[in-house]
Amino acid sequence: MSAGTQVHANLTEEQVREISGDLDEPDWLLETRLEALEALEELDMPDVIKTPGREWTNLHELDFESLVDPLNAAENKDQVGPDEADVLSWADAVQEHEELLQEHFGSIVDTQENYLTALSTALFSTGTVIYVPEGVDAEDVTVRTEQNSRSLFNYTLVVTEESSSVTILERQSTGEEAEEQYYSGVVEVAAGENSYVQYGSLQNLSEEAYNFTVKRGVADTYATIDWIEGNLGTQLTKTEVSTTLSGDSSETQIVGAFYGHNDQHFDLDAKVWHRAEHTTADLVTRGVTDDVARSVYEGVQDVGADAWDTSSYQRENTLMLSDESEADASPKLIINNHDTEASHSATVGQIDAEDLFYMTSRGVDPRSARNMLVEGFFVPVLEEIDVDELRDDLEELIGARLRQRD
Amino acid sequence: MSSDQDHLKETDTEARFEFKKEENAAVKSDKGLTEEVIRMISEDKDEPDWMLERRLRALEQYQNMPMPSGWPGMPDLSELDVEEIIPYIRPDVDKREGVDDWTELPDDIKDTFDKLGIPEAEKNALSGVGAQYESEVVYQNMQEQWEEKGVIFCNMDKAVQDHPELVKEHFMTTCVPPSDNKFAALHGAVWSGGSFVYVPEDVTVEMPVQAYFRMNSEGMGQFEHTLIIAEEGSEVHYIEGCSAPKYGTHNLHSGGVEVFVGEDAHVQYSTVQNWSKNTFNLNTKRAICEAGGTMEWVSGSMGSKATMLYPCTILKGRGATDTHITIAFAGEGQDIDTGAKVYHNAPDTSSTIESKSISKDGGRTNYRGLVHIADGAENSSTAVECDALMFDNESTSDTMPYMEIEESKVDVAHEATVGKIGDEDIFYLQSRGLDDDDAKKMIVAGFIEPITEELPIEYAVELNRLIELEMEGSLG
Repeated sequence: MSAGTQVHANLTEEQVREISGDLDEPDWLLETRLEALEALEELDMPDVIKTPGREWTNLHELDFESLVDPLNAAENKDQVGPDEADVLSWADAVQEHEELLQEHFGSIVDTQENYLTALSTALFSTGTVIYVPEGVDAEDVTVRTEQNSRSLFNYTLVVTEESSSVTILERQSTGEEAEEQYYSGVVEVAAGENSYVQYGSLQNLSEEAYNFTVKRGVADTYATIDWIEGNLGTQLTKTEVSTTLSGDSSETQIVGAFYGHNDQHFDLDAKVWHRAEHTTADLVTRGVTDDVARSVYEGVQDVGADAWDTSSYQRENTLMLSDESEADASPKLIINNHDTEASHSATVGQIDAEDLFYMTSRGVDPRSARNMLVEGFFVPVLEEIDVDELRDDLEELIGARLRQRD
Repeated sequence: MSSDQDHLKETDTEARFEFKKEENAAVKSDKGLTEEVIRMISEDKDEPDWMLERRLRALEQYQNMPMPSGWPGMPDLSELDVEEIIPYIRPDVDKREGVDDWTELPDDIKDTFDKLGIPEAEKNALSGVGAQYESEVVYQNMQEQWEEKGVIFCNMDKAVQDHPELVKEHFMTTCVPPSDNKFAALHGAVWSGGSFVYVPEDVTVEMPVQAYFRMNSEGMGQFEHTLIIAEEGSEVHYIEGCSAPKYGTHNLHSGGVEVFVGEDAHVQYSTVQNWSKNTFNLNTKRAICEAGGTMEWVSGSMGSKATMLYPCTILKGRGATDTHITIAFAGEGQDIDTGAKVYHNAPDTSSTIESKSISKDGGRTNYRGLVHIADGAENSSTAVECDALMFDNESTSDTMPYMEIEESKVDVAHEATVGKIGDEDIFYLQSRGLDDDDAKKMIVAGFIEPITEELPIEYAVELNRLIELEMEGSLG
């Protein structure tokens, strides 16, 4: 057993068989789950940023044995989509699209990549499969998950065929609050040739909850995957959003917004792997830390040796509203092809005193002035969001959180 | 300039750095690290007990510490076998402390440094020169005008004998304790030679003080220690250069540098490193900067097989300032992992880091940085800028900055860009009559100009020559 992982005394093969049986899953899926369960003993927590003397997110402190309650998952879920595309619950997908699942499940996010992906693989009981056939434009797929149990393990698969497009809005929130809850989500996106996927996510779970999410996509030739990643809830979130640009001329954009207050801790990764020619990536994240909240941001732009003529950009800006909050940023560039234009920048700062002075001297009271400046800070990120509904919701949540502040 | 002239210059430069000498050792330790070896070094130096004790404690710490591991993309150290390294070689010079008249040096050593241009440099522009050959400083000279003002510039072993109180207080205590990392501990156990610089209050040493380190023997380790103490209001510029010829087995260079910048003092520390391409260069360099003090690091990392070096400044007092200017050049088989660390531990502190790297023929450069702004370091600001130039598709360039910000009233900015040499730029220069090789050299010279500007002319010329040498035949 590697250092720090936990073996669950209370997790059994029978539980996994029961979950899989309830969903009427084929044997290969059950096998995958059981292998993941067995692998827990060997696997370590996901990588977090380490600098001398410090591990920035301590996942080993979490008591997964008490957080995980596999047989009592409860949720409210909406899964809505247009008729031309398939938007199916996991149980329906198992019946209707077994071949699709066999091809894609675990192909993008390794089921045994780390302790938490394996835990999710063994125990997930709910999910959504979105399949968009060739040439179909599927606007407005909406997935809303309200967690009503101690733990909830969710899986989402998106497959787009050639020249199709889809816009997905996913929201997580908490219904019935328990003291501590754990939400785990794995998202795999396989974007076929010349297809377009926009995947927006708004995480607004209870502030007692813990959250582990990994969202990963692979873009084929001429395909585009755009991610929007909004994080407001939980006391601890560890999340990664990444795209592998595996087809020539594929593109990706990762837009992130977060707002941490009280003692929230956000560990956010945005990563792009350029693996083909003429690929383009743009990573933009902006966030606020207030009170004693902490943000840890890791951005990776990895340009492989075969990725000729690549453009890759990354920006990360953090605004600190309090003295006690902390922000850590590490935007990494890994460049193995010289025919590349790559840049990244990161800033951390506070509200500009001159801006504040200017506004108060024009008669705006200091509190409103500050709120307006924070809202203004998020504008460059909000502008990148094409989906009105997601943009409006995010704006409203940010506004509400600001008004909560004295 | 014509390429014939170039060719001559390059051959000359190559001859300057790659020649080897027969080993000429008076005392040579066994390979590897044991208490006996440590005691033997200490005894040969006739050291006081307290230094021996520090060495032994560092050895113990070294033995208990794991090798660095788990850093993303860290250089491969698997070929480094410290047990196979000879940690101590004292060349056969008449006086153990080194001589202060150049003509007294044995011919082979003199010849080496003549080829490296050391006396020339001293004659022309420097206030003092120390030259280390293998483990010992063989030549040391300080211009009288500075001595009269109380400036001390001597080799570290001599400082242990002559200035025990200063050394006892500052040597590997608060700045670089042996517990800092495995190679700092190693250094604490086997250190030998190096420079000691002491500048009294309000004295400005207007000319740079220089030291040159040369490794000649095969399979040896060099562990020089540099301790600089700049008292309140003083000012000094220290330059070191390093080189070694290439042998079949690996050499290890693990130096230690400690700089104490007093209140309102100003220290510049410049390095041009050109170890041979089989040397592991694993150094620890750190400065502690009091209120109003300024620390400037200027470094050019050219040679070595693998370099792991992150000069660090601790901005301890209010209003202290730090500047890092670094250039890394990695050619075939080289992994230059270098960067900067700054700890803002007081209000109104500021730092700027400017890092440039060039990689070609499969070389790897990495900028690894850490900027820490502690809670309470109000109104601190830092700006980090990294630019990487890549020549070909076998090369790699990475940037890994880390920023830990615990204070809100700060201004933190990081920027990095990577690009190839523009075809248009090359075409433009070619259309003006330059061949491809010269055009690339010119572009690189322009790219590194911010660094060379900061160096005294001899070093700037040397850095340019080294880069020209590395660039030879880089048509791609």
